[in-house]
Amino acid sequence: MPKSKLKREAAGNAGETLPDLAELCRIHEIGLDLIERSHDVDELLDRVLDEYESRLKDLPSDALDARSTAPHPASLGKLRGLVMFATQAAALKEKAIVAGELKRRAAMLEAANSRLDGVLAALSSGVMIFSAQGAFLTANVAARELAGAADDTALANLIAHGVPRGGEAEIDVPIAGGGRRTLLVARRAMTGDAGSEVVLVTDVTERNRAVEERVRLEKLAEALKTLSVLSHKINNPLTALLGRAQILQAHKTNDPGVVKAAAVIEEASLRIADLIRELAQVVKDGRQGAVDELLDMSAATPPTTSRR
Amino acid sequence: MVREGGVARLSLSGCDAIDCANAAAVKAEALRLLGDVADVVIDLSCVEYLDSAGVGVLVGLFKNARLRGGRARFCGLTPGVRSVLEIIQLDRIFEIYDDVETAVRS
Repeated sequence: MPKSKLKREAAGNAGETLPDLAELCRIHEIGLDLIERSHDVDELLDRVLDEYESRLKDLPSDALDARSTAPHPASLGKLRGLVMFATQAAALKEKAIVAGELKRRAAMLEAANSRLDGVLAALSSGVMIFSAQGAFLTANVAARELAGAADDTALANLIAHGVPRGGEAEIDVPIAGGGRRTLLVARRAMTGDAGSEVVLVTDVTERNRAVEERVRLEKLAEALKTLSVLSHKINNPLTALLGRAQILQAHKTNDPGVVKAAAVIEEASLRIADLIRELAQVVKDGRQGAVDELLDMSAATPPTTSRR
Repeated sequence: MVREGGVARLSLSGCDAIDCANAAAVKAEALRLLGDVADVVIDLSCVEYLDSAGVGVLVGLFKNARLRGGRARFCGLTPGVRSVLEIIQLDRIFEIYDDVETAVRS
């Protein structure tokens, strides 16, 4: 029988006898069983191959033999039953392969997500993800701890209202035990996911403190440098002034005004010399407290002119 | 049968038809040759006709490879064999390739 005719016979023409009702029910049951197994292509194939073997053994030899001129109608009935089963089996196998591939990719995605979650959890910086619609999706442990937010919604609101999209800003948040901390929050677009954002949260409280301390130390260094120059510049003329005052006092003179003036000059010069020595000590120590103390002491010291 | 790497090549030469007359013998001989081989490429280029018993042999070889954790790949299908496999949809169940080299590489 020609192949094309055999194919038509196997498929069954309209009006011709179909497999009997019991066989149709069995094929239906097998189909349901195959659907149950179609989550796993190997399990499905095991069942399909068993059924093929069983049906092929039961199929008369002439049903598939192209050399046979006229297969028996009973053979054709069994062949149609086999084809009905085979059509379902082949379709389910292809679906199972696709489902398996989807499952494999889903597992890969899940693994990648787990790795990412692990990385995020290990980060000391806070990381949050927002969807393209601006909805909060997830945050790592550090983000929740840093922001001190009671829940994800509060955390999301804090960021959404405190920092513009694509920008960055410092926001102050309370600390559970009291006090406040400063967070640097940067909102950045996520590559490959249009509209989505990743938000990086860093505690800059200590950094800001360090910056302030550095500025203070730089000012102190500048002040000490000035004091050093001043003490050097003043000391030279002061030495000459003190020397001249002592010369005046050594001269025998009856003018009480000159004697008193020489004493005042000497006393003032000694006071300035003391001050210069203290300044030199401050420069040597490099202590802010000493500078403040010195400045306070200088302010409290009456000007020499008032003591005349 | 020829082994190349981990894949065996089995040529069903010497029988232009696998039918109820020789199916059991062909299957037994093929399984004997394959032994514990798991991956096999079965060359059907010499087979012109198959009946249901002959198809049963192919299904049996396919199952045997799977049971051993391997694969059975068929190649060199003649029009008569391809037509039979298409009728009962086994062309969608089996792994089928045009020639031995393609099948081995796959």
